[in-house]
Amino acid sequence: MLKLMKYEFRKTMFSKMILLVITAAAEIAYLIGVFFEWEKALGIGIAGLVFCALIGITYIGIDSLLVFHKDLNTKQSYMLFLTPRNSYQVLGAKVLENGISIFLAGVFFAVLAAVDATVGILYIGGLKEFLDIVKQVASSISININIAPGELLLGFFTALASWLMMIVTGDLAIVLSATVFAGKKFSGLVSFLLYLLLGWGSGVLLDHLPEVRDANLQLAMIIAGAFVISAVMYGIAGWIMERKLSV
Amino acid sequence: MLECREITKIYGKKTAVDHVSLKIEPGKIYAMLGPNGSGKTTLMKMAVGLVKPNSGGFFYEGQPVGVESRREIAYMSTEPYFYAWMTVKDVGNYYQDFFEDFSMKQYDRLIERMQLMSDMKVKALSSGMMAKLKIAVTMARKARVYLLDEPLNGIDLLARDEIMTAVLDAVGPDVALVLSTHLVDELERVVDTAIFMKESHLVEVCEVEALRIEEGKSLVDKYREIYGHMSAGENYADMLRS
Repeated sequence: MLKLMKYEFRKTMFSKMILLVITAAAEIAYLIGVFFEWEKALGIGIAGLVFCALIGITYIGIDSLLVFHKDLNTKQSYMLFLTPRNSYQVLGAKVLENGISIFLAGVFFAVLAAVDATVGILYIGGLKEFLDIVKQVASSISININIAPGELLLGFFTALASWLMMIVTGDLAIVLSATVFAGKKFSGLVSFLLYLLLGWGSGVLLDHLPEVRDANLQLAMIIAGAFVISAVMYGIAGWIMERKLSV
Repeated sequence: MLECREITKIYGKKTAVDHVSLKIEPGKIYAMLGPNGSGKTTLMKMAVGLVKPNSGGFFYEGQPVGVESRREIAYMSTEPYFYAWMTVKDVGNYYQDFFEDFSMKQYDRLIERMQLMSDMKVKALSSGMMAKLKIAVTMARKARVYLLDEPLNGIDLLARDEIMTAVLDAVGPDVALVLSTHLVDELERVVDTAIFMKESHLVEVCEVEALRIEEGKSLVDKYREIYGHMSAGENYADMLRS
């Protein structure tokens, strides 16, 4: 499984490198803004970093689906399916690698934000002055900053669970497109509609979880529910691949 | 060793392999012969589980083919299938990561013999070089069954001998080798058994030596006999009926 994950990481490395390069450029702009107290550069830097954190993490998920689609629909599928690994391991390696990548990207951007904030405080000369500048920049580019540290972690795991569910739903739709609908007209469209339907169904299921008074507990239940739904969809996708997939 | 029983594969309205039953025994070299579209490639792909049959099945040592059989069956596809970002060295590393029977030493020897360089990018290889790379990485495995789909495709005359030497080096009393090819005359001297496929059916399996002694025919004669008598428009089912 680790070897499969190693190659999954290698396959998506190029897009991660692009993300890193854009992040580095935004970071340089941010540091120039801090060191020279140049608001325009600071604004570009902060906007760039926020953009990389949000869009970049989203793209890591989408890229995983694109790679999986390529893995099932081109001859490079032989690289996976000639190895002595079953479909559950192949799919599991993809999901795990993507989950870990998204988690690490989240941690990376959180650490980068903390380091950048520290640098900002040290060089601009105090927390108040630094926050004033950040708020000034944020208001000029219409970003509202609401920091709620207590819920940040739970929010992060909610996002992670939602992403995993989306990835596994996407994987299932791709597997259906390559198996049940293979060679049929509009198979891509049908699979996309199925993806939307599965996503909607998962949302409905999560909406029907028992209600509790504690908001944090409710959120934890939603996270657990998302993991269960992901596991079920993963099982179905693996089962179909194992029995029906011809590459 | 490797056996298929009444195996059938249908793609949409086209039957690629139709109720084929076949046994592959160790210590023998098989030539799988037939024109394009006769079902050779699909049959090989089903033997390694890349293609799932509609009915019937492939069995290795009595068990349905799958994860375990892939440890001992080496398949070389006719199409290139390596990741575009790989170098020749990466391909070897990949096989070493996944196949216990892979020998990096043997791989290095073979790529040197095939005049390939470790740092060559896979996407920059010509079709002939790609064919050599596929052979090198497949034959660097110490497998018990080798299934080689058109191994001499795109290979120049001089390199064919190198490839055939590399392929034949792997043959032993416990090893079976199946070669699919159009180059019947080149295989005649090395093949023990010929499998003739035609329009998704298995037409005949014959021992090449017996063919020579008992019928006084070469493999090429037999090939012509089977495939040369069909007129345009006539299909194999019609032939069988007549």
